Amino acid sequence: MFKKFEDKEMVSNVNNAKSSVQRGIRHAVLEQFPHIDDYIEQILPKKDNLKIVKCHEHIEILANSNGEAVFFRQRDGPYYPALKLIHKYPFILPHMQVDKGAIRFVLSGANIMCPGLTSPGAKMTKVDKDQIVAIMAEGKQHALAIGVTKMSTDEIISSNKGIGVDNIHYLNDGLWNMKPVK
Amino acid sequence: MAAAETTESTAREFLTDIGPKPGVKYPVDIRYCGECSMPTEYCEYYPGYERCKKWLEDNLPKEFEKLMSGKGGGDIEEEKDGEDKKKRQTRGGKGAVKAKKKLEPEGIKLATSTRGKKKKITIVTGLASYEIDLKAASKFFSNKFSCGSSISGDDEIVIQGDVKDDLFDILPEKWSIIDEESIEDLGELKK
Repeated sequence: MFKKFEDKEMVSNVNNAKSSVQRGIRHAVLEQFPHIDDYIEQILPKKDNLKIVKCHEHIEILANSNGEAVFFRQRDGPYYPALKLIHKYPFILPHMQVDKGAIRFVLSGANIMCPGLTSPGAKMTKVDKDQIVAIMAEGKQHALAIGVTKMSTDEIISSNKGIGVDNIHYLNDGLWNMKPVK
Repeated sequence: MAAAETTESTAREFLTDIGPKPGVKYPVDIRYCGECSMPTEYCEYYPGYERCKKWLEDNLPKEFEKLMSGKGGGDIEEEKDGEDKKKRQTRGGKGAVKAKKKLEPEGIKLATSTRGKKKKITIVTGLASYEIDLKAASKFFSNKFSCGSSISGDDEIVIQGDVKDDLFDILPEKWSIIDEESIEDLGELKK
């Protein structure tokens, strides 16, 4: 989604969310990621001014008062956490670990193919189709991408072919390199 | 066949831990590389890895040692890597991660021009190459000189009034990365 994202050109406007809108967003995020219940005050403080950054292609980025991206979504889709947030709170999403050989392709924006998830170095969490997952790597601590599963874990194992997880947001893509918004 | 598959999937290990781990304090403290901006463990996948290494050595010597020792053997393994790379065909084009280009500061140019018959304006160019936010800079100028200041181009600020002489002192004072030597006076520009 952010492969060709350029923050200077793609951002169309930034505005502060009304408190009622903010409440709605908090609610939606909590519903989607129930694990962050204890930490929501740190991630999206109630007193804080949440910024909504509207971008081209109907992408909407939520930024905290420091201007750092926290969540994003496209159209009315689900909210995705940004990678910097995942690094701080890795438990938000189920993890999918890819093997070593896949890392360099993922880092250039490739989707995750099934063999990269089934080989000995890889580990999966049992999830269904269309689940947002964090892509981890063999021997590494931190996530390197955020993706959406295209098949359930069982299907990935049985077919072992084609795209298993769609790459949405990865290290050094447009969103990662976005400067803090004002 | 089906039976074999099921045994395989039961033998497979799954990640099961969901939710915050007990005993870990969140948010997790994480250090990013100043060169490639990724977590330090991913530096080796960056095309400008050599520069990352240097940055790590200068800024996070402890991390650097850990990464180097974690590789086991260090140099020997690296040589192997190099040979491997030669054998494998490298893919160019869109897929490859490109190293970020650092903008070279080009120096700041100051000029004055006239507006109407007797009014002067000062034109400052080159601030963006120092990665200075133009909007903040123009606000700073208008505060400092109590006058209008506007961004008129990609890398150009126009200040109303002739403040060129003051700028020579104020620019290095406000932004320490600017050297007084690198400020150039272009004199008076004709429209």
